[in-house]
Amino acid sequence: MMEEAKPIQLSKSILDMKFMKKTKERVQKEQEDAEGKAMYSNEITEEMKKSGNIIFTETSIFNCRNLVEGRLSFGGMNPEIEKLMTDDFTKKKQEVERKKETDISDEKMAQEYSTLVDTIGNKFSGKRNKNKRKFLKPSEDF
Amino acid sequence: MVEDVNENTTVFPGEVIKDVKAVKGVTILGPGLKRNEDPPNTLRITRAGKLQFKPPNIYWVSHNHKRYIPKRGDLVVGIIVKKAGDSLRIDIGSGEYASLSMLAFEGATKKQKPDVQVGDVIYGKLLNAHREMEPELVCVDSYFKAGKMGPLSNDGFVFTVSLGLVHRLLDPENPILTALGKVFPYEIAVGMNGKVWVNGRNTKEVLTVLRCLETAELHDDKVIVELCRQSK
Repeated sequence: MMEEAKPIQLSKSILDMKFMKKTKERVQKEQEDAEGKAMYSNEITEEMKKSGNIIFTETSIFNCRNLVEGRLSFGGMNPEIEKLMTDDFTKKKQEVERKKETDISDEKMAQEYSTLVDTIGNKFSGKRNKNKRKFLKPSEDF
Repeated sequence: MVEDVNENTTVFPGEVIKDVKAVKGVTILGPGLKRNEDPPNTLRITRAGKLQFKPPNIYWVSHNHKRYIPKRGDLVVGIIVKKAGDSLRIDIGSGEYASLSMLAFEGATKKQKPDVQVGDVIYGKLLNAHREMEPELVCVDSYFKAGKMGPLSNDGFVFTVSLGLVHRLLDPENPILTALGKVFPYEIAVGMNGKVWVNGRNTKEVLTVLRCLETAELHDDKVIVELCRQSK
């Protein structure tokens, strides 16, 4: 809480104490980072200007295609691996299945609806309805 | 020049892609693409294949190849070729052997090192893979837990398949591995480097998996699934 509000500067003698080794390393790293930032902030090279404003980061195809991890076991060959597989493999498989299911149901829904419209339409254009006389509005002058 | 990016456009090395989509100024590139210097904010194709785009900002070129180029974070299968002090040399099928520290196993200490020999097979993660540097493997995650990684049993069998097949097999939509699993129990480690380790109840079943994957190299997924269905 205190650190967030105001960074505490520890004196050099405290940092030199034996138990402060970790903190000392951290403080030194922070200082170096700050110095580095200040040094390079006003050095924007031609190359940087030329390369545009999009940052391109490279990654493996594993992340591009959302692949599963390759260590797999089936049919209880290695129960340990199968337990670990639930995190990655089973989850991704289920996701795919779910996607497939919704895909089909959307299509089916449209099909079902179109046939439904036909059946309802048939009801009104059936034999009985065809024979029924239409109501004609009587003319005013009779 | 490819003006508009359609999925599955065939592209060739040297072509330039304009109108690159980015999210907060960041675009993620998979294999087969490089940043283009002039004009800025464009991409240059480095491999022939099909250009793929995944919203919002991921581009890559999909193509089949056999040479493995190490990429950070890849899970690979490797064979120990040399033991040198505290580190191991691992053949992962790339241009250079990868190094794996003996301390990068779960529960390993300076005094208590893992029992691994030359010729053993390892499933590990690439911690560091740079063009000018030796690739570095680890067998633990960031919490020092092994998880799925570590030495693979000596009962298994190792062979190499094309990288295109690896990407196909590991696609969650692909039915091959699950279909095989319904016929007989087996375990497999498919490395992103194209090396595959298989273990089954007996030699015959291991070889069946091998044959299936060899067939899958040339045939459709449906062929394998059909074969599995018949043999059940």
